[in-house]
Amino acid sequence: MEKRVEVKLELPSVAPLLDVIKAAADSLRDGLAAPLGMKEIEGEFRDAWTGELLAGQNRDVGALLALFDSNFFATGWISFTEKNAEAIVRACSALRLRLRGRFLPGLNDEALESGEVDLDVLPEPVRKAFMSYVFLATIQEVIIQHLDSSILGS
Amino acid sequence: MTTGQSNPHSSPAPLGATELALEGVWHVVVLNDPVNLMSYVVMVFKKVLGFDETKARRHMLEVHEQGRSVVWSGLREKAEAYAFTLQQWHLTAVLESDGEAR
Repeated sequence: MEKRVEVKLELPSVAPLLDVIKAAADSLRDGLAAPLGMKEIEGEFRDAWTGELLAGQNRDVGALLALFDSNFFATGWISFTEKNAEAIVRACSALRLRLRGRFLPGLNDEALESGEVDLDVLPEPVRKAFMSYVFLATIQEVIIQHLDSSILGS
Repeated sequence: MTTGQSNPHSSPAPLGATELALEGVWHVVVLNDPVNLMSYVVMVFKKVLGFDETKARRHMLEVHEQGRSVVWSGLREKAEAYAFTLQQWHLTAVLESDGEAR
């Protein structure tokens, strides 16, 4: 039987974050979250690699966004399974990298790493981006904690 | 070169001394980033490189504290496959030839 983790989210808290996450997802359509750092790879292969990585990144982000369907907006429940966990945990990584790079310009690495950020002093767009950044990390933690062995076994 | 569907962990090839002598040794180096969770990096190392928990944590801490960790060394083609797969998981991986890696 497929292992499954179901999580009930507070709609009023999460729904406003989805606009930010969607904006980050849109900005990833044409660019990698983590730039290809391998200078040794020559042009033709480099383009092929980038294309494959981008296609995979878009598939993963699509799997994450699919969690927030009409059922989620009706019930607040999302579920992770052995089938979607790997893509979702990767998508969270991509989106967090993009949020860090483009949506959280004023926050330093130490603050982001510790989570010690005074939300009251942040402008609304930055506050929502930071909450989205934390929310995606929480999804990753849930998946890693409960489905790590399933992911490794797939 | 097959890249996207490559799974270097599932098909380890023995390193021939002659091949290594001809091509040189290449290192897969993972660089630190301030975003990815420690638990995520450990999971990726286990998944992609086949590390056990202890080894995965050791390399994760090396990345976190020293900014980089050499996670695999060997023939270039296989090093490229590992680096590609690590990039699929959004870790920043670079290749260094023998003599470059420290």
